[in-house]
Amino acid sequence: MKTITPSDDEALDLHLEENLLDKNQSLAQKNRRLLDRFGVYAVDILGSVGSGKTTLIQQMVTFLKGKLRTAAIAGDLTTTIDANRIQNAGAEVIQINTGKECHLDANLVHRAMNHLDLKNIDLLFIENVGNLICPGEFPIGAHQRIVIVSTTEGPYMILKHPYILMDASTIVVNKIDLAQAMDVDIQKLKENAMGIKPDIEVIFTNARTGQGISDLIQTIRIQK
Amino acid sequence: MHEASLAQSIVETVLRYAGANKAQTVKSVQVDLGALTFFNIDQVKFWVKVGFENTIAQNARVVFRQIPGRIRCKACGFEGELKMQQNAVYHLALPDFSCPSCNNETVSIVQGKEAVVKTIRILKKPE
Repeated sequence: MKTITPSDDEALDLHLEENLLDKNQSLAQKNRRLLDRFGVYAVDILGSVGSGKTTLIQQMVTFLKGKLRTAAIAGDLTTTIDANRIQNAGAEVIQINTGKECHLDANLVHRAMNHLDLKNIDLLFIENVGNLICPGEFPIGAHQRIVIVSTTEGPYMILKHPYILMDASTIVVNKIDLAQAMDVDIQKLKENAMGIKPDIEVIFTNARTGQGISDLIQTIRIQK
Repeated sequence: MHEASLAQSIVETVLRYAGANKAQTVKSVQVDLGALTFFNIDQVKFWVKVGFENTIAQNARVVFRQIPGRIRCKACGFEGELKMQQNAVYHLALPDFSCPSCNNETVSIVQGKEAVVKTIRILKKPE
């Protein structure tokens, strides 16, 4: 069979200008509009595996009981361990199992929101998948982003993840009771964060005992 | 590995446009990636090459251009590159999200968050 192929000088350039993140971005905006329509304030919570995301959400849910109607979307690779813990604290919880995906995206969050009774929720916690890199590029429509680092992750967590602070309003330094044992200077962690983003709020917590939880709640800018 | 999902959308985008334009071969692809995104160019490039295997784009030259980060200050109007602090102790260059000109904290990012397939070069099927 004879095949005629075009020569290189017959090449055609197509100008696509196709933005690859647009789809997620517009879905995130759709999520935000939906939340706003029902008066739900959403907080995206980021932190490594074991930094204390679930325990902090649990504590906030317990603290806010009777004051605000809370709910949570818990993103995790597998298992419903996190979701069960938050549910036991008294919030409605939807679990998203991402399988192998390292971040939540706007589409997954949208599907989870469809299962929530939004008109009976004031404050929605969205627990992202446990790492500080992948979720950075995928806004999900939340009003505010809180980043958690803990002293057991060592003294360099903030210096190693400076760009995640770009869109964060608050940094939580958790497990301050273990700082001494870990030889981590929590003031130094605060300096690191403020050096990168001067207007960021830094809160010290011990999520197990509830220390610092009311300070953390103060940084949530919900208007109620 | 969020690079894999970005690479997948690059592959899908390229093959969709190539198909719609009756391409026989894709010769080259140009992608812009902002320096302030969380994507590693080498990893994205690797996965794009994998995604192009056994397609009309398998021999395409894939060119990534990194777009530098730029910020604008709402207070003084400064627009330019992000301030980077050199930290010799940690061998790190840390970004500083305050205004290099007036130190104000209200800066916004105007460039560096791109992830765009700019152009593709194709050879058409003979009519």
